[in-house]
Amino acid sequence: MQTRFLALLLVLPALIMIVLFFIVPLFASILGAFEVGDSFGLGNFSKSFDLYSKDMIFTVVIVSISTVLIGLLSIAIGGYLTLGENPRSVAILRWLYRWPMFIPFIVVGQVLRTFLAKNGLMNNILVSLGILTPLQTTGFLDWRGIVIAFVWKQTPFVTLLVAGAMASLDRSTIEAARNLGASRLRILIEIVVPQISGTLLVGLILSFVTMMSVLSVPLMINAQSPTMLTADIAFRINAHGDYGVANALGVISLLLTAGVALIYLRQTMKDRL
Amino acid sequence: MRPFLSVEKMSVGYGTTTILDKLDLGIRKGEFVALLGSSGCGKTTLLRTIAGFTKPFFGSIRVADRDVTQMPPDKRGMALVFQSYALWPHMTVAQNIGYGLKLQRQSRENIDARVNEMQNLLGLAGLGDRKPGQLSGGQRQRVALGRALAIDPEILLLDEPLSNLDARIRLTVRHEIRSLQKRLGITAIHVTHDREEAMVMADRIIIMNTGRIEQEGSPEDVYNKPASPFVAAFMGAENLLSMQARVQGEQVELMEGSFNPSIVTALAGRTLATGPIELRFRAEAARLARSEDKTVLQPGTLELRGQVTSVSYPGGHWRHAIRLGENEILVDADTPFNQGEAVRVCIPAKSLFIFNVVEGLAEARAL
Repeated sequence: MQTRFLALLLVLPALIMIVLFFIVPLFASILGAFEVGDSFGLGNFSKSFDLYSKDMIFTVVIVSISTVLIGLLSIAIGGYLTLGENPRSVAILRWLYRWPMFIPFIVVGQVLRTFLAKNGLMNNILVSLGILTPLQTTGFLDWRGIVIAFVWKQTPFVTLLVAGAMASLDRSTIEAARNLGASRLRILIEIVVPQISGTLLVGLILSFVTMMSVLSVPLMINAQSPTMLTADIAFRINAHGDYGVANALGVISLLLTAGVALIYLRQTMKDRL
Repeated sequence: MRPFLSVEKMSVGYGTTTILDKLDLGIRKGEFVALLGSSGCGKTTLLRTIAGFTKPFFGSIRVADRDVTQMPPDKRGMALVFQSYALWPHMTVAQNIGYGLKLQRQSRENIDARVNEMQNLLGLAGLGDRKPGQLSGGQRQRVALGRALAIDPEILLLDEPLSNLDARIRLTVRHEIRSLQKRLGITAIHVTHDREEAMVMADRIIIMNTGRIEQEGSPEDVYNKPASPFVAAFMGAENLLSMQARVQGEQVELMEGSFNPSIVTALAGRTLATGPIELRFRAEAARLARSEDKTVLQPGTLELRGQVTSVSYPGGHWRHAIRLGENEILVDADTPFNQGEAVRVCIPAKSLFIFNVVEGLAEARAL
């Protein structure tokens, strides 16, 4: 009895922190989503869907496209780090690919804004090289800009996980495939990736959740409609003081990420069976 | 006749370290060769270079007069069985075995037929849909073998394929691999550090030490006529004594020492010079007798006088540790002798492995 009490006492500080600063605010905002005036109802949700259903689709599509691109790029980079035969270029890539991880989202947004704008650095270079005329230039400051920013920022993180998993594979499983005549691309797709799929999935889901919560990038790059839910939430609170709809949008984001988490849980359960 | 697989003046290493230096090796078609040596002797490096996973600094590798030195691993007509088996955990047994055929773009029917044939050959029938994780060690080993054999290679390379198996399974798998190799008539190179495994499996044993070939020959040859002290010790002649020898014509005299009278025996093909020698013999090659036993010895039998310090029973015979002054030797006997008993150790001349002591080496050993 005494030891149980002691154990509880040891856990208590952490428990208080979590309850006070995480669970209580979460439940408050979930409850807030159902508060319409003085009573409870689905008013905030119907309003959210009326005003922002386009933005919800926009958000899911953008984050999904980004996730797929991040997956492909991280497999490509990790694969080259694992299977590359030129030690110097492997070393350079290994040194280079991590840099974007240390740059905050807001800075990424800012950098890409000046780079991708209609008269930004990228188009200026293309024009001065004679590839485009000034009339042909278009800005990328729309959904494409957001995807570029997300992919650029999140690929290193997923690559870090994927390359680590690839490096700890039994090398002889790769050599056995080479011994039978598999090309490096086939080895990557048929031998390496299936063995690290669990790690890849975890990385992509963490990335998905991170991207769902980024406010700075859509604000910096895509200050128009449709935009991402994070920007809508900020707008509801800052411009209208409308906490009800903001909370409802928050719950919807939460459900979207929960859906992804469910896919992940299903997958890991299947792997165990 | 030119060997089927020949390695000529090959030097291999990693970075600035050279592991194999100017190594020559020839293997006949259908031969089962064991590369035997302790860890770090370069045997696995040799196998990996032959397989094409390591590029040699110099030298060439030829298969049936085809220079394969610069060829990728899959173009050499060789298949490697890895120590860890290297099965792909996400593929079934059938997919593992059939992968090489899939890479050769063979038809589905061909692949299925060949996979079935391999499964039947290796006693894996009915396990085709299992994943490697659901198999026992011995079954995994056979899947790895099936995957290598499915592509019908000319040369099978085995990198310590038995070292991850239980001791009992290992004994049966040894014979399975050997009889399979004979039945298929395939050329095989087997890397191992297990002397007995090499002896029972191979037509020819190549003993390696610090990147060089110490001796090659049939199992009987390397066992009975070791060419160097290293080979003698590696093949189980662990008892070591230092003596003086005098060579006269075709005879060699081992001079009298503090524990033995002198004997004269025929050189019998040994290349020896007068001077200090080291003498090696196996525990089971010597005979133990009571000191009062006055049986007349055959001429040329070395007799040592010592004292039993301990007796143990490893199974089948009794093993005695015998003290000869500073040295201790191990001798087997069918009946136990008492601890502390004075005994005669008799070793027939043909069981004595005698080598001249190389200057400098003796001092290094004395330290």
